[in-house]
Amino acid sequence: MNSVGIVFMKEIREILRDRRTLMAIGLAALATPVVLFVISQVSTKTASGLEILFSSTGLKLERIDDPATAAKQQVDIGIAFTSSGIDEYYDPTRQSAQIADVRLQTILSRYDAARIAATLQQKGVDPSVLDPLPVTVHPLSSPTKAAGNSFLSFFLPYILITMSLTGGLSAALDTSAGERERKTLESLLLTPAPRSHVLIGKILAVTAISLTAALAAIVSMLIALSQISFGGAQNGAFNVALSPLAAVVMVWLAVLLAASFSCLTIALGTLARNFRQGQAYATPLYFITIFPASIVLFIPDFNPNVAYYLIPILNAVLVLRDAITHDAVAWSALAVTSASLVLTGALCFYAALRLFTREALLVRS
Amino acid sequence: MTESAVKVDRLEKTLGSNRVLRGISFEARSGEIFGLLGPNGAGKTTTLRVICTLLAPDAGSVEVLGFDTRLASREVRRRVGVVTAEIGVYPRLTARENIAYFAELSGGVDGEINGRVDAVLDRLDMRDFANQRAESLSSGQKQKVAIARAIVHDPPVLMFDEPTSNLDVLASREIREFMVEAKGRGKCVIFSTHVLHDAERLCDRVTIIHQGRVVASGTTSEVRGGYQDLEDSFLSLVEAAR
Repeated sequence: MNSVGIVFMKEIREILRDRRTLMAIGLAALATPVVLFVISQVSTKTASGLEILFSSTGLKLERIDDPATAAKQQVDIGIAFTSSGIDEYYDPTRQSAQIADVRLQTILSRYDAARIAATLQQKGVDPSVLDPLPVTVHPLSSPTKAAGNSFLSFFLPYILITMSLTGGLSAALDTSAGERERKTLESLLLTPAPRSHVLIGKILAVTAISLTAALAAIVSMLIALSQISFGGAQNGAFNVALSPLAAVVMVWLAVLLAASFSCLTIALGTLARNFRQGQAYATPLYFITIFPASIVLFIPDFNPNVAYYLIPILNAVLVLRDAITHDAVAWSALAVTSASLVLTGALCFYAALRLFTREALLVRS
Repeated sequence: MTESAVKVDRLEKTLGSNRVLRGISFEARSGEIFGLLGPNGAGKTTTLRVICTLLAPDAGSVEVLGFDTRLASREVRRRVGVVTAEIGVYPRLTARENIAYFAELSGGVDGEINGRVDAVLDRLDMRDFANQRAESLSSGQKQKVAIARAIVHDPPVLMFDEPTSNLDVLASREIREFMVEAKGRGKCVIFSTHVLHDAERLCDRVTIIHQGRVVASGTTSEVRGGYQDLEDSFLSLVEAAR
């Protein structure tokens, strides 16, 4: 076995005996289904509430003296019937008030349309003249499937990226900053094994752990999704499933992300004098991982040009989102994304190698 | 005269803004214990780190068994074993796994490596705790693991950098006995210490360095000169160098 393999096997053995890393992987696999179950319950309750709201024949009316004051907290919406029409009061910062407003407008517009149609009929005019361009809707895919894909397109990239980073973080810091803290680094560098081989062995081990953590979290999520229904039983409940194409894209991106993050976290760990300092250096990475997934969440119809696929992490989120949502991959986007992530990984590896081969590595300790 | 195993020639090294070594020279031979003596901060550890290729010399040269440390660093590392005061071991590996890891990284085929590990376990009387995780070992047992990993590839040059500074009396004695045994087997043993009593008992020849310069070199009796012991001689030399 060459020195890369020797270091890899030793690191894997040590990592598998490290409770911190095992707990991180175990928690990732267990926490995701729990979170999904809670989300499904919340979404079911919301759907049930809306269903009741929209299927009821009338608003729940309550007599109040001052509709404007009552609309602040006491009721969702306050209305006053005047000689010229209706005055409406609602607080747009309250979600329940917004829903009540939409519903009131819908009911009032239907009331107006019914009154107009009745009047026209009384005068012998066909009410269909009010709808000169009737629209028949033909959805191109199942609305329930679309809802499921939309759900996956946010959660799956988020979990993939977060776990690619955090799953191997403890192992990365242990094998770099921890090696220095335990005073084993000098002995290791005294062996005839080239430092680049030692570093590659460490990176491969951390990558394997990151990948395992990410895939464990995703597989547990998909298993949980297959058992959980979203949207309420009477309101088009749907299950969520990952297409084979999206699964292949996801695994490929997971490999690239795990390798890049491993190089980066080992480089940061090599800079640190001890494990705790390494954690402090790595903390900003959490924000970097959350930010791209947030863009997709808050700008759901974000359709970027190819230049956006050069931005590491964001590009992985976008490619995976497209693969899940449209069940198709834009190969040019995937190629640019892959090249970008490989280049990022190579730069991180170069930085780690520079740090690992400099004399200050020992002198600073 | 025995050929030099380690030859240090006008070695200079600066770390940051600190000029640690200012042209030191000495030679250590096979079959002897060579003492590298000096107060803390004299440059002993830096010298050893240059010899074992962890640091590159700024000027001058170092040869180990004819291999230049700059040109053939891997060949040098194959021939050197280093024991330091820092007895860091991998806590989640057993004593045997710790030693085997370094044996594998030093090269050799799998069957040969197991044989080497077994041999060193026997030699250092480590069988009782060979399969215990290193995190549960005592300081003395960890020091044995540190020695074992340094000698498992049977290097002809052994360097000990303040090896007894963190050990109790019994463990320190075992280290000293090990150095004498290694010398008897024809190894070149370089012993860096500021404990002059140990140096006087063990070393055949010594070099005293102070502020990066050699202030005395020769056999132990030559360096002791007219003084009662090496410590008096050492203090006199260091005082004169100030």
